[in-house]
Amino acid sequence: MPSGVELIQSLVNGLGVGLIYGLIAIGFSVIYNASGIVNFAQGVFVMLGGMFAHTILTRYGLPMWLSAILSTILVAAAGVLVQIFVINPMWRRNAPLFAIILATLAVQLLIEQIVILTLGDQPRTYPEFTAGGPLKIGAIAIPYQLFWILGCGAVMVFALTQFFERTRMGRALRACAQNREAAALLGIPVERMLVVAFALSAGLGGVAGILITPTQYTAYLIGTPFGINGFIAAIIGGFGSPVAGLVGGIFLGVIQSEAIVFFGAGFKNIVSLTLLLIVLLFFPKGLFGGFQKKT
Amino acid sequence: MTSPAITSAKPAKFASRFDRFQVGLLGLAALAVAGTLVYGGYLLTVMQLAMIYGVFCIGLNFFMGYTGQASFGQNAFACIGGYGSAILCVQYGWEPILALVASMAIAGVFALIIGYPTLRLRGHYLAMATFSLGLITYDITIQWTAVTQGYMGYAGIPPLGIGSFTIDSERWKLVALALLLGFGFWLSLRMRDSRFGRGLRAISGSENGAAALGVRVPRFKLIAFIIAALYASAAGSLFAHTVGFISPEVYGPQMAVMTFTMLFVGGVGTIVGPIIGAVVTSLLQEVVRGSGHFQDIAYAVVLLATLIYAPKGLSALGALFRRKKEA
Amino acid sequence: MALLRTTELTKRFDGLVANNAIDLEVPEGSLFAVIGPNGAGKTTFFSMVSGFLSSTSGSIEFNGRDITRVPQHEIAAMGLVRTFQLVQLFKGMSVAENVEVGCHLATRGGVAASLFRPAWFRKQEREVRERAHELLEFVGLSAQADLDAELLPYGQQRLLEVARAMAAKPKLLLLDEPAAGLNTQETEGLAHIIQKINAQGTTVLLIEHDVALVTRIAHRIAVLDFGRKIAEGTPDEIKAHPEVIAAYLGVEEASNA
Repeated sequence: MPSGVELIQSLVNGLGVGLIYGLIAIGFSVIYNASGIVNFAQGVFVMLGGMFAHTILTRYGLPMWLSAILSTILVAAAGVLVQIFVINPMWRRNAPLFAIILATLAVQLLIEQIVILTLGDQPRTYPEFTAGGPLKIGAIAIPYQLFWILGCGAVMVFALTQFFERTRMGRALRACAQNREAAALLGIPVERMLVVAFALSAGLGGVAGILITPTQYTAYLIGTPFGINGFIAAIIGGFGSPVAGLVGGIFLGVIQSEAIVFFGAGFKNIVSLTLLLIVLLFFPKGLFGGFQKKT
Repeated sequence: MTSPAITSAKPAKFASRFDRFQVGLLGLAALAVAGTLVYGGYLLTVMQLAMIYGVFCIGLNFFMGYTGQASFGQNAFACIGGYGSAILCVQYGWEPILALVASMAIAGVFALIIGYPTLRLRGHYLAMATFSLGLITYDITIQWTAVTQGYMGYAGIPPLGIGSFTIDSERWKLVALALLLGFGFWLSLRMRDSRFGRGLRAISGSENGAAALGVRVPRFKLIAFIIAALYASAAGSLFAHTVGFISPEVYGPQMAVMTFTMLFVGGVGTIVGPIIGAVVTSLLQEVVRGSGHFQDIAYAVVLLATLIYAPKGLSALGALFRRKKEA
Repeated sequence: MALLRTTELTKRFDGLVANNAIDLEVPEGSLFAVIGPNGAGKTTFFSMVSGFLSSTSGSIEFNGRDITRVPQHEIAAMGLVRTFQLVQLFKGMSVAENVEVGCHLATRGGVAASLFRPAWFRKQEREVRERAHELLEFVGLSAQADLDAELLPYGQQRLLEVARAMAAKPKLLLLDEPAAGLNTQETEGLAHIIQKINAQGTTVLLIEHDVALVTRIAHRIAVLDFGRKIAEGTPDEIKAHPEVIAAYLGVEEASNA
């Protein structure tokens, strides 16, 4: 039986990972709400974030903050490319849902293999943003990176909320989410909005990847587990507001990290996938019912 | 109602069964097999795998093509078939044929248990649930080392055969696999062109319309799912017995993407699509022979190009030409 | 004798009453029509009767049996078959195959039968093809039998849906706005076919927007407005009913003017 300290420690770990899942979940819902598409390649952006940041840091020796900003921009650009070259042609043609899902899966495989060929298949990591640490409270260790994740997560969610409510572009995106035809009639350039959605969503994933890499590692294959976990978080949060996505992520992160304590790390993905199946089967319309409105 | 909409004396027949174009494609595939038998060499292995994936795709086509449902996790059932065969033969010394059939039965039962709750889901949920099914199975094959031997996998799986007669030569293996593929294809045709098959295809056309005519939609979906799982399991077993070695990677997510590429290149929902797709894609793969990474990139690019520019695949090209002629 | 009887049939959606205590009796052998303005609750009523939508309260009786909570495929199996306002063709199947699907209820056999093809099954498949052919002839589509169904012009798709429903040998055929989107000539042809179907002994319940069509062919008409039945009677009675004229016909004339 695990001790109390172990449980609390895993709670702390779960909080950090959960926030990351939350950011990915928000990325899922930004695209879904604007287009009705679930981008199964979402996790690949997380991988790219960490990969780019690591490459810029080590190869060009730029400071962390600059590497982080540059990588985020690069990942957002990757998202735009995916939208323009893959999603948009299919979307225009009214391709069936599962064909689009399949295309996003193919995109994921493609990007992963390109990463292997260009950057290699070795896992890599870089130091936490703030040296020193962890912060010790009794027997519990809190890595400084967790505060960075918390801080950045809060800033992102706040900025997103402001973006959707205050800016013209944000409101246009929400209009697309509510009714695409009506938005088009109002003169909102829906396709351009989709590009914005992909850029935003990929950027979010990139930030998540940059933040999480110091606490674990990044490698070409981390996209799938992060994508799936982000999706589960999005379901729990109901594909609605950014805050709901974040809550869903934290919920999942904590459950998962407790599961590691009980079953061992090897079963981490099995546990979360099983959780996904349970959520899907017992709450087929999502926990908060936000998902079924367009399907 | 006497509007003479169709004036041609012989209306096109491409909707119901083969058109000549599809028969031609099938002939080309048979030629490719025959040519391989003559020339031999490394191509034999390529064609063997094409036959095996063809079996898998016929099953997948039942569920995704005819019934119009999405399953991104059929590789899970191939995995059950492959490991079933490997464990029963290597650990318990079963006859390969018996192991293949027994694994199919296990896969069928799993499909029933998993499909019953899962197939109530729709759209993205169904896609994600089936996708995670494939991933869970993949993770289990890696983690459950006591049974699956983890990354090591199983080696020394005996080839197919009956009693003391085993099919050892690569040429005869290909012949046997081609015959089995033909058998599976023939079975699929019989199922397709019947009351049952029409019910399935009606579901893909319109679930409501089918239900209004008394088709029991959930049950038919489940049966199609089980059929797909049986084909997948058979393909998984055939791989094990043909190659003699399996590991988790064989039945991993890459397999899902590869088989989708085959099905879509050939033409999802068409009769000959699964076979044509498997043969054409396998041969294409030889063009980009080299590192496995280049192969995966090639699959992804071909799949994307097909999805974007030719969503109906090769087998539908004939229909396309004809439609243009009529218009 | 009433083939279909609904008693106080009610459907609420989140406080909105789509159908309010509707009593209806469709006599066996009749050609019965339900009319009403858009949003009057006609399609809701239809969906409850055919089992696609569960009712909030009230009951439905078909052929002497209570079918209020019976699943749709069983209702269909009892001989109550519907068509849809938006044509639900089986894409990717030929015109003839579409009708063959209609024979689903009147036939049997599953995977095993399709694999082993015993004599009875082969005979049945032959009969299915013949029946499909007859029905296509009946609606005038036999020349298009082998065409991909989605290539049919709209008017013929409607006819195909009727033929498909008839293949199920229904006791009661529910037609949901069959003339929607048809031109005058096509509507004429359809009206003729509906009358023929009825004359051959199939009871028909028809939802329609086209009042001229309904008053010409229906034996009895019920009028819905805002989820309530406001009138019922013969076409002549309906045409003279003051409430109907106010609620529906008046509006219709005004909008047509």
